[in-house]
Amino acid sequence: MANKRIMKEYAEVTNNPPAGCKISLENEGDMNLWNVVMDAPSDSIYAGGHFKIVIKLPKEYPFKPPVLNFKTKLYHPNVTNDENGSMCLGMLRPDEWKPPNKIADVLKLVRTVLAAPQPDDAVEQGIADQYKNDRKAFEKTAKDWVSKYAK
Amino acid sequence: MTYVRADEELAELQRLSQEYQPDVTGPLVGERQPSTAIASEYALADPVYRAKTAALPQRYSHYRTCRGDGRCGWRAVAFGYFEALVHIGDAAKFLDEETRLRSLNNILNAAGQDPYVYEDFTDETFELMRKISASLQTGNADATLLACFNDPVIEQSVIQHMRMLTAAWMRTHADVYEAFVLPQSVDEFCASSIDPYPAEIEHIGISALTDVLLKPAGISLEISYLDRSIGDEVNVHRIDADAPEGFGSGTIRLLYRPGHYDILYKPEDIQPPMLPPQPAPIPTYFQFAPQPMDHVYDIGASDFITMIPGMSFANTHAGWMSSSPFGSSGFAPTTLPCKPQPPAPAPTPMYAPPPALPPPPPPPAQISHASDFATPSLPPTAMPNHMPHMGNDPFRSSIWELERGFPAATTQCLPFQTSIFRNSHFNTAHFLNPDFQPEEWTPDQDYIVPHNNHRSGRHKSISSGSA
Repeated sequence: MANKRIMKEYAEVTNNPPAGCKISLENEGDMNLWNVVMDAPSDSIYAGGHFKIVIKLPKEYPFKPPVLNFKTKLYHPNVTNDENGSMCLGMLRPDEWKPPNKIADVLKLVRTVLAAPQPDDAVEQGIADQYKNDRKAFEKTAKDWVSKYAK
Repeated sequence: MTYVRADEELAELQRLSQEYQPDVTGPLVGERQPSTAIASEYALADPVYRAKTAALPQRYSHYRTCRGDGRCGWRAVAFGYFEALVHIGDAAKFLDEETRLRSLNNILNAAGQDPYVYEDFTDETFELMRKISASLQTGNADATLLACFNDPVIEQSVIQHMRMLTAAWMRTHADVYEAFVLPQSVDEFCASSIDPYPAEIEHIGISALTDVLLKPAGISLEISYLDRSIGDEVNVHRIDADAPEGFGSGTIRLLYRPGHYDILYKPEDIQPPMLPPQPAPIPTYFQFAPQPMDHVYDIGASDFITMIPGMSFANTHAGWMSSSPFGSSGFAPTTLPCKPQPPAPAPTPMYAPPPALPPPPPPPAQISHASDFATPSLPPTAMPNHMPHMGNDPFRSSIWELERGFPAATTQCLPFQTSIFRNSHFNTAHFLNPDFQPEEWTPDQDYIVPHNNHRSGRHKSISSGSA
């Protein structure tokens, strides 16, 4: 059943991809691992960057939330600054996940968070503090990282 | 110093409570077991719990556990809903319900849900309905239901369907619920308390789910609260279906312990529905009407009548029956009691004293007799006392009532014993007669007949027969 849902969603995003996203399968034939290349919103400090995101749909999907990992390094308070690049907030939290949510909705959330970081919900407390107290320095590093990793 | 330590302790406690996982072992829905198990579970608890759990088995004979993973309330109601349908034992009811739930997809659409998202969930519900309805034939519907509810894919989908129905119903009937979810709006409430996958059902959710799922199906919900409030029995909260008591499609009974739901059963919930011949209700009259009886029979005693075994609203004489205690004039003479006598009134010379009247076996229809109302403790054998009471009886049958001492010119003394009469309820030997008196076999008279020229007694006739 889960698979049926994933097929339907995949068909939908292929025919009608969410703004700024190119979606493919990481491995041919594995519906549970999606590959997204997201163009950062043009009004965000990440503008011009292309970020590779891997979305892992658990076996229990849609009863368990998908897992998001940024494969492109990103200086952002809501994305872990490690090799995983995990993002987990809002609707993606297991205790807030709603099975009717679709991946397209998740991608919309990701773009919103790129444009407007949520420092109070941060996974990188250092980056969040900098974002709140020294916005200039934060933006400089973020832009540096975009040109370094995300072009 | 102490402040810091308290802070650390709090942080540690906070961490522990966040990491705490409730005990989620055990089946999603367990086997039905005797409810005495609950009492033994609380044997060492405080006295309030001990008293309440000890009293529980008197009311509820069995219970069934639900896994305490935070979704037990949804699971218990969903399981109870299917079980109630199984208990009705009618494949047509499953079809009715599938049709009704399909039409409820409209409120899912109205609440902004995407058909391709909810169809996966609703399809599982309908498939489960068909599977169970098919297994009604083979008689293992209960086992099928239990097995399916322990399949996480089916169970999660069905619960999700219920969840979406509840939220959609609340959103499309916001005016009904908005006062109960303040300070949130209905939409915010659903988003935080109904929609998320792990959200446990709470009171508002239960009442909305009852409104959309149970009530229209004729199923009632009864929740027993086992908590530490004063009292020696659980507090019961009941949400009735749109059908009068006894005419619905059953009741789901839940046991609520703070944070957890299990399912309870009364003995009558367990026995197969068809075995004891219940007064057959006629569903067409009342199925969904809010005050159904009033249109059909204007009988004060309707509840009482339905309690009489063998009686039902199918009986076209119900109106006549109820007239006896409450004074309709038409048949007053027939309500007059007559002295119980052997049905064949031929005077018989008997040398033995007349056999003491054996207490009649409990009549199949215990008729609403005036004396039964006046002195309800009296068994039906009290008929002979009836005559003297007539004058000051609190229930005066009719203004046409016969004088006291009027000869007992009653039906059974009447000469016309046509077969039509004998088989009608005007015959006191008919169980629908208010003065029902079963015909008794009096051996004396049978034996007397051939010999009554010479002998008058049973013993002699026997001895002569054996001689």
